[in-house]
Amino acid sequence: MTAIQAGALIGFGAVAFLDQWPVLQSMISRPIVIGPVVGAILGDPGGGVLWGAVLEAMQLAVLPVGAARYPDAALAGLLGTTAAVTGAADGVYPAAWAVAIALAAGWGGDTVGRAQRRWNGRTAERVRARVAAGHLEAPGRGIAVALIRGAAIGAAQVAVGLAIVAAGSWLLRGSPWAGPLDARGLRIAAGAMIAVGGVRAFGLGRRRAVALGLGVAMGVGLVAWGGVT
Amino acid sequence: MAERGLSHRLRKERRSVALRSTLIQAVWNYDSLQAVGFGWAILPGLERIRPDRDECAARLHEHLESFNANPYLATVAMGVTLRLEEEVARGAAGAERRLERLLRALRGSLGAIGDELFWVGWRPALGGAAAIAALASGSMWPAVVFIVAWNALAQGVRAAGVRAGFAGGAGVARVLQDPFWSRSRAAAGMVGTFAAGASLGAGAAWAAGGTSNWGGALVFLAVVALLWLGGARTGSRSRVLSPGFAFFVVVTLLGAIFHLSAGALP
Repeated sequence: MTAIQAGALIGFGAVAFLDQWPVLQSMISRPIVIGPVVGAILGDPGGGVLWGAVLEAMQLAVLPVGAARYPDAALAGLLGTTAAVTGAADGVYPAAWAVAIALAAGWGGDTVGRAQRRWNGRTAERVRARVAAGHLEAPGRGIAVALIRGAAIGAAQVAVGLAIVAAGSWLLRGSPWAGPLDARGLRIAAGAMIAVGGVRAFGLGRRRAVALGLGVAMGVGLVAWGGVT
Repeated sequence: MAERGLSHRLRKERRSVALRSTLIQAVWNYDSLQAVGFGWAILPGLERIRPDRDECAARLHEHLESFNANPYLATVAMGVTLRLEEEVARGAAGAERRLERLLRALRGSLGAIGDELFWVGWRPALGGAAAIAALASGSMWPAVVFIVAWNALAQGVRAAGVRAGFAGGAGVARVLQDPFWSRSRAAAGMVGTFAAGASLGAGAAWAAGGTSNWGGALVFLAVVALLWLGGARTGSRSRVLSPGFAFFVVVTLLGAIFHLSAGALP
């Protein structure tokens, strides 16, 4: 990985961190979007698309509702795809290593996100005190401070993550302990994950059972007779 | 004429509020939750309603105490707030108390409806559909379609929310009872289940290699069973394993089989 590629990943990580909850939530922070972007930056768009879909499948059933704690899908997608693409050789990916990185990044990112929220609490207190003193511009300034801090945190956690990924990939290069797997194996695992996650999330009433059956027919048809390999 | 008059009131400010609502979670914290973002978003309207700076600051300070709702639907509460703030400024009897009670009730309703529609409904549905399409096609177009479809719905609801809340005012319950919410949720369920079915079919066919490869089919069935039993449930509600850890176990086992069979799954 070149310095320019690392810089691009760090910059993109800052944007993805902000999109995840502080700004807009346009979902460019989801692994399905992050994967292709990371793949393009690292010169392997196909691998990025594949790993974006795999890591999206992994995060699919995680629902940020109520007071639920949930992993940082953006950091998991970015570092997981990086570990997979940079460690790939002859179409075989270090799959277990990349998924382990995504798991650890999801947990680490959640921890950092909670620290950011606590930090925001102090900013919010200051904003309220300033508004009580008649300063109407205080909320805008508080938001600017929180966003700059968020972007810096997002960039920093990607930089640290990239160093860990680079060290681990160097140690595990070519090792069976990296859990080598080709695209077919990854499709099988991710397909099963989407199926199980989808049925768990949406349940199976009579109409949905029909939708499931139609989906199965289409999936089998596309692969068996549609030329999708 | 009354409706025309309503639609023109605070028109410019309402557009500004909708735009600013994209930062409602910028200062999200465990004490006042989204309150700073909420207050900053409604500020253009408040300044128009209360030209006096001190009066405006006093009303803004009230709104900075605590607020939380689904981020896309929070604009409905912003519209309601501006409508009732007008009544408060006119000195309507009990308007301030009515606004306070209404906002408290709206937080729960907007959170529940929005979470159900967006986080439990459309995100897994569109995400699952995009993921299986990307796996099958190897193209980045499913990701592009995912982004466009999500934002057409989510940002569309966000933009329409201010006007709906402003028009509804104290009678905003009608907006929340609109069949759009339940129909949209049901549609998300159908899309998500169809994507799950397509993944099941495609996964089985990939495992079988398009032929009568019973070894591959058995591997796929074992993977599905392991994920099902191993806790591929909804996030932190899982009592057994997180979905991510169950997936890690599956990938590690497949990697071991791949390695031991000299680079080819059955």
